[in-house]
Amino acid sequence: MAVLTVKDLKVRYSAKGPEILKGIDFEVQDDDFLAIIGPSGAGKSTLIRCVNRLVEPTAGSIRLLGEDVCSLNAKALRNLRRNVGMIFQEFNLINRMSVMDNVLSGRLGYTGNIRSFFRAFPQDDVKQALYYLDRVGLSDHINKRADELSGGQRQRVGIARALMQRPKLLLLDEPTSALDPKISREVMALIRDIARELKVPALCNIHDVQLAKEFCNRIIGLQDGYKKFDGATETMRDADLDVIYEMEVL
Amino acid sequence: MTEQTTTPDTIGAADAPKWSRYKYPESLYKHGTLLLILLFLGYSLHFLNVDIGLLIGALGRFAGVVSDRYYPPDLEYVLDWGYLASILDTLQMSFLGGFAGVCLAIPLAWFSAWNVSPNRRVLFPLGRLGVISCRAIHETIWTILFVSVLGFGMLAGVSALTMFCIGFAGKLFADEIEAIDMGPVEAMRAAGASSFQVFLFAVVPQVRVAFTGIAIYTWDVAFRAATVVGFFGGGGMGWYLKRNVQQLENLRVAAIILSIIVMVLIAEFLSGWLRAAVNRAK
Repeated sequence: MAVLTVKDLKVRYSAKGPEILKGIDFEVQDDDFLAIIGPSGAGKSTLIRCVNRLVEPTAGSIRLLGEDVCSLNAKALRNLRRNVGMIFQEFNLINRMSVMDNVLSGRLGYTGNIRSFFRAFPQDDVKQALYYLDRVGLSDHINKRADELSGGQRQRVGIARALMQRPKLLLLDEPTSALDPKISREVMALIRDIARELKVPALCNIHDVQLAKEFCNRIIGLQDGYKKFDGATETMRDADLDVIYEMEVL
Repeated sequence: MTEQTTTPDTIGAADAPKWSRYKYPESLYKHGTLLLILLFLGYSLHFLNVDIGLLIGALGRFAGVVSDRYYPPDLEYVLDWGYLASILDTLQMSFLGGFAGVCLAIPLAWFSAWNVSPNRRVLFPLGRLGVISCRAIHETIWTILFVSVLGFGMLAGVSALTMFCIGFAGKLFADEIEAIDMGPVEAMRAAGASSFQVFLFAVVPQVRVAFTGIAIYTWDVAFRAATVVGFFGGGGMGWYLKRNVQQLENLRVAAIILSIIVMVLIAEFLSGWLRAAVNRAK
């Protein structure tokens, strides 16, 4: 069953600016771990940000979890975003807050304004946070400030924060680009295992083709706003990569 | 196609690549602007008929006036309990005005910071308007306005200082908010947080230290303004200054001005020390 259906998606950031996405169609099934690959500037980040409307699409339609994303008002959009966990290239943690508060901030969509003012999250949320922190291997760092952690540990905080939303879809925006190759592999493996465990589909921007082949069951290739490839990982040939990157692939 | 490479041999050749820091239109704008500014300065000097000769002798005459009329300062007068209490009044006015001003400036700064404003169509222009109107009117004019509405005394003074502090801190707060890293903001929005929650979790932790520094600086500036506010009927030591100026009690005026200088120095020293402490506490 399709969790996400994108049809003829077009984006430009300003009326006279260049078109970043020029008509993209794809679907994410409920058991997909889908990679989006492509050279820098192909529109990968823009595409993934359209799904939860961090970027406003110019034209086209997006159906996510049975709702038409583009027609939602502010309140309905916030409710939909609660169901979509997002993990970022630069982690986007709140550096001056503790690891625990960072993870709990994943529950803000379900927490009232007054509770969030006092950071008085319900006990169930705290228990859940402790569980996920343990699951990503950070039990010893709960009270540290986020900026005291290493890159790999910070991304694990990012993962735990996204899981706190009990997401029905994970959006991963270059989750490993800021990490070294060994830790990249560990983090990707962790995300894939958790996604399988919780039966959550994932949509993952990634520029490392090797990692995409290793961890993802399907691959979409973008180039300059056009979709150049869409298929199961095993069906991708070097010739397809040549088209996506328009250059020799190592 | 032959590749053109720069070697020492090609330097100075007719077809060698050229580079200059300012290309034609930019260089014209840059030097033209500079010329215009200089021309306007010269014109203003000429138009106002400023007598440079008078200015040169001014320092000597100033020293003469001070030693003739304002020396020795009447220190006994400023050590009187009534006057000391008015210093405390001024201090309290600056605290109250600074506190209220900073508290009101925070939401206004949030509204008027384009990147995280909860509503760009309505609240953003309102926030900007609020901060700008507070800045547009000088603190002495605020005092005159409030004195005419609330009567002489501390309440008018505190209200005037509050308006002054909103304008002063609001602008600095908004600038600080607009310079934050937008990554956490994006993350909180993606998690479904409301604008208020985004402000609490993604903005406040990033600006907390800077805000504390600005708040202390605001109090420092408010204290200086408080002495002037009193002069126009807002209460505190400025009132004594006005009375003695009008009664031509020059020796007392000298003592009062000295006391203001001492208090401002203390405030400046204290605020500098506090801000350094806050910066260290990162």
